Amino acid sequence: MGTDMEMDMDGDVEERRVQVRFITKLKPPYRVPNTSIAIPANLTRLGLSTIVNSLLKAGEDEWESQPFDFLIDGELVRLPLEQFLLAKGISAEKVLEIEYIRAVALQKEDEPSLHDDWVSAVDGSCPRFILTGCYDNLGRVWRAAGECTHVLEGHSGAITSVSVVNSEGTDSVTVATASKDETLRLWKFDNEEHSDQPSKIRAFKILRGHNASVQSVAVEASGSMICSGSWDCTINLWRTNVSDTEGDLVSIKKRKVKNKAEESQLEGEALSTLVGHTQCVSSVCWPEPKTIYSASWDHSVRRWDVEMGKDLSSIFCGKPLSCLHVGGEGSALIAAGGSDPILRIWDPRKPGTSAPIYQFSSHNSWISACKWHSKSLFHLLSASYDGKLMLWDLRTAWPLAIADSHEDKVLCADWWKGDSVISGGVDSKLCISSGISVL
Amino acid sequence: MGASKKESVEVDKKKNSKKTQTTKKEKHNTEESVLAQKQEGAATDYKELSADDDSEDYKSVGESEAGDGESSGDEGNHKSGSSEGLAIDGQSEDSEPDQGAEESDSSEDEVAPRNTVGDVPLEWYRDEKHIGYDIAGKKIKKKEKQDKLDSFLANVDDSKNWRKIYDEYNDEEVELTKEETKLVRRMLKGKTPHADFDPYAVLGLVRAIRKGYIKFDKPKEEPRFYMLWGDDASSSEKTGHLSYIPAPKPNMPGHEESYNPSLEYIPTQEEINSYQLMDEEDRPKFIPKRFTSLRSIPAYENAVKDSFERCLDLYLCPRVRKKRINIDPESLKPKLPSRKDLRPYPATCYLEYRGHKGAVMSISAEASGQWIASGSSDGTVRLWEVETCRCIKVWEFGEVVQYVAWNPLPELPILAVTVGQDVFLLNSGLGNEEIQRKVKELLHVETPTAPEDSGNKVSGWSWRQDDEHEGIRLRHFKSVYSVEWHRKGDYFSTVMPADILSIHCHLIAFLFLALESIVLCMKSISHT
Repeated sequence: MGTDMEMDMDGDVEERRVQVRFITKLKPPYRVPNTSIAIPANLTRLGLSTIVNSLLKAGEDEWESQPFDFLIDGELVRLPLEQFLLAKGISAEKVLEIEYIRAVALQKEDEPSLHDDWVSAVDGSCPRFILTGCYDNLGRVWRAAGECTHVLEGHSGAITSVSVVNSEGTDSVTVATASKDETLRLWKFDNEEHSDQPSKIRAFKILRGHNASVQSVAVEASGSMICSGSWDCTINLWRTNVSDTEGDLVSIKKRKVKNKAEESQLEGEALSTLVGHTQCVSSVCWPEPKTIYSASWDHSVRRWDVEMGKDLSSIFCGKPLSCLHVGGEGSALIAAGGSDPILRIWDPRKPGTSAPIYQFSSHNSWISACKWHSKSLFHLLSASYDGKLMLWDLRTAWPLAIADSHEDKVLCADWWKGDSVISGGVDSKLCISSGISVL
Repeated sequence: MGASKKESVEVDKKKNSKKTQTTKKEKHNTEESVLAQKQEGAATDYKELSADDDSEDYKSVGESEAGDGESSGDEGNHKSGSSEGLAIDGQSEDSEPDQGAEESDSSEDEVAPRNTVGDVPLEWYRDEKHIGYDIAGKKIKKKEKQDKLDSFLANVDDSKNWRKIYDEYNDEEVELTKEETKLVRRMLKGKTPHADFDPYAVLGLVRAIRKGYIKFDKPKEEPRFYMLWGDDASSSEKTGHLSYIPAPKPNMPGHEESYNPSLEYIPTQEEINSYQLMDEEDRPKFIPKRFTSLRSIPAYENAVKDSFERCLDLYLCPRVRKKRINIDPESLKPKLPSRKDLRPYPATCYLEYRGHKGAVMSISAEASGQWIASGSSDGTVRLWEVETCRCIKVWEFGEVVQYVAWNPLPELPILAVTVGQDVFLLNSGLGNEEIQRKVKELLHVETPTAPEDSGNKVSGWSWRQDDEHEGIRLRHFKSVYSVEWHRKGDYFSTVMPADILSIHCHLIAFLFLALESIVLCMKSISHT
């Protein structure tokens, strides 16, 4: 390669050109020679992508074009290069360093898995399976699209939230589900079972203590405790001792139960209760062993100290919040969405104002779920009542990708296996979209 | 003031104490006047003031004893030894009252002026041996004045003697304090007596006022035009009559009164005939006539009558002052708040609860805010989950559902529904097993019993168990309009329109006392 290559795209001599150099953090097959190139200044992302592809092809004949995304000064390029430089005030005189990454796009959509009723909760934290909760009071475990391996039976109300407690163990997996029947249940099952029919499982422990529907459940990283947020405005902490110790056995209260379960079920009581919210606690998150974050319909996001049982700080925005997740850089950025179509991201480490550092407003209706990617610093997804799933990158204000996989409201969404997105909605479908190359 | 200040500075040299008196600030008036006096007195002591004039005003020198005063030297200034200082009298008159007041400035504040003479020229007492009378009526003797020798000695011995001044008015010697002497010295030099007074600021103000930069009062706006011949009405109003009401203005003559009006003004014969048909009052007072030339105009027959009536108007007819209220019509409009004040108000519709087939007549939210019940004209009541717009339950009634109301207690998810003549208390099916059990207990009625409330002659209610809808059904004798729960959830009231005859009249509300058993149950629940 020569040091200065001129790529004459349009043959127009009068056109302005910019000197650029492409750099990347990607591995060698994606590396372009580190020379500066003059390119027309009115190229968009597509044009830049074409250039990079042709450069790669020049180096390797078997290259297949892939879409790339470009970053200048840490921000994704979404305008023609010239306009972008103008908008950002970057001088076009010196050589511009453009970093390129693989473009994030939804490439493949799997067959949606049909449920009997609305899919209200989904958890994809374990790459081996997907856990869903449904309005027909059943939880389900899916190995792949359409293949349900286990059915979790026992709740008397719709399931609002599910979470994998512990999947480290060889085969045995523990999960927790929260439901509108004011209880939480803990389940255990073996993942390696293969059978044609989904096997029915009963909970090995029932956690009672809330006075109203339990809205959300979150697990501590080690798996020994879970916390739940409920419509009675409190957050309860529970122990999830997998072993059946005597200490957890509480006398089962006398009640008129029509269908008496044969197996003995442990009943658990809350370890402690966090009181502070004035309205329904819609979402809880437990990023570090000592801190719990909760979002509520009383417009606040509160941070709780687990040992003290008190809320340390709260962020108020003007809207009832229905979903919350903590992640991003240093696992400290709080993303929350609520009844207005704006996805807000706060950085609690920043002193001073409680204004969100990012606001993404491409949705049309309530945001029902938001989740950070477990490994990336910048990527998160959100699901909304307008039926759309949107993938976001912090470095740009427009969504990277929009998935229109549901016809009606999307009630829940999560990442799976690092490169797929799963979501469930009012149309009773569990949709899996994969092939997303985030990293 | 500044200018005059300057004057005073100049005149000081002439020692015109009067001017200094008048030009100083009022605060210092008293002091200054005395000081002026003292100045004179002191001036004689100071050799620097050898250029003093001796006008007659400087008799203050003479004030001090034997006319020569304390001066140890430079007598050049004294005048004759008229100790009383005749000419000074004029000045001292000014100064005396001030001096009396000055008394208070000096160290002896508590002592009241002892002068009992009053405001008379002291020269009247010149030849007398007494000066004034005390309260008992006895004469107050004048103090013995020191003769020259004594005064000379006093001068020498007493270092402070130069400060002493004979206060003629009060007939005593007053000693100037150090501050006062400082003031005097400053004044001699032509400075302001008080150090912190800046005359130049005052001068600036004076200049500004003179040039018109600073205005105190709003200048009167002179009307640019004024009427040479004012209206009778306006001019007479200003004469200060209290309740003068001007006479009604006579109308100026118009086209009809012209001797040769345009043809269209003249009524035709038919019109004139029609006037006869009208009532007396309706007839036009004046019928225009046309004359081709001035010669042919006849005498005005109503001349005397008109002037008589005018006279009556002027002095005989009672007139009433009409109070006209000037109300800006815009101010009568109610002040609606601006849109900004009403924020936050709902602006966007995000959730729609679809399911009803007819108009939704009433909605009610449950105590916790998780559910909404709605009653509609299609005869159904639906229970919705707020968050997801999911319809949880449907109750079918035949008739239009007028009103729904939740029990305000979160432990009792009972829904009261008014349908036609019935009020249904329904178990919504929410809550955990315990709550459900209690609600079912409550809503169980064995036998219909008469309500135990008062004041109703016609017992038109019946309680019945309604298994179809899982609840209690209350039958009224008229169709019920709405139902409201008491805040504590124990009682509810229903409203029915009173009577067919009086449809629009005020509604009668009947308060229900719930059946004994229910009351007890509910009370026990509310206490647990």
